[in-house]
Amino acid sequence: MSYFRITLHRSAIGLPKRTRGVLAALGLHRRGQLVFHPVSAQFAGMIMKVKELVKVEEVDRPLTKREVHEQRRPDPGFWVESVGSFERQRQHLEGGKGGEAGAEGEVRL
Amino acid sequence: MFGPFRITNSLSGGLLWKIPWRLSPTQKYRQRKRLRAVDQVVETLSNALAKKGETLKSLERWKAEMPTEAQMLPRDKYTMFDRKAKRYRKGIHKLPKWTRVSQRLNPPGF
Repeated sequence: MSYFRITLHRSAIGLPKRTRGVLAALGLHRRGQLVFHPVSAQFAGMIMKVKELVKVEEVDRPLTKREVHEQRRPDPGFWVESVGSFERQRQHLEGGKGGEAGAEGEVRL
Repeated sequence: MFGPFRITNSLSGGLLWKIPWRLSPTQKYRQRKRLRAVDQVVETLSNALAKKGETLKSLERWKAEMPTEAQMLPRDKYTMFDRKAKRYRKGIHKLPKWTRVSQRLNPPGF
């Protein structure tokens, strides 16, 4: 099942009521808003009505609100390194063969 | 020179029609970009529906009748028919809301 990923790119200010109604029916109320609708002739017809105002892509699944938010989050520009996690990763790689040694190492940390 | 009583064309005269008669090169560039964006939306819809095996009358009609940006003549991209204008053409920017409506075809015979 695929979905239309629809972004309202241009505002509908001053456009006919029917056009604004179509946008409202698609769930688009403000510029830059993102909605997902399943691919079907019904939604395609609605998008055809407002094709000058929206950007459309076809995607496999709709993103949740949280996922969209995460995508919009800017790169913080730093990351926190911790020795513990580095050590654990190393021992995980080494301790593939010797199970007990790996377990001991983890206790020590 | 400055201030509320400065002399400008619109303040010293009555109505001043200052919409230029033709588009600037950057306006033309953005107009082409908008035309391509609409073509892109139509193509996405048509591909998505074709995969599902569905058809849509308005989409079929658009594809049959409307030229894409590459197929259009410059004359049709930047000007439109006007029965009152000299030589029956005027700049497309005279069309109300021209950046958000589609205007690609001429009446038959023009």
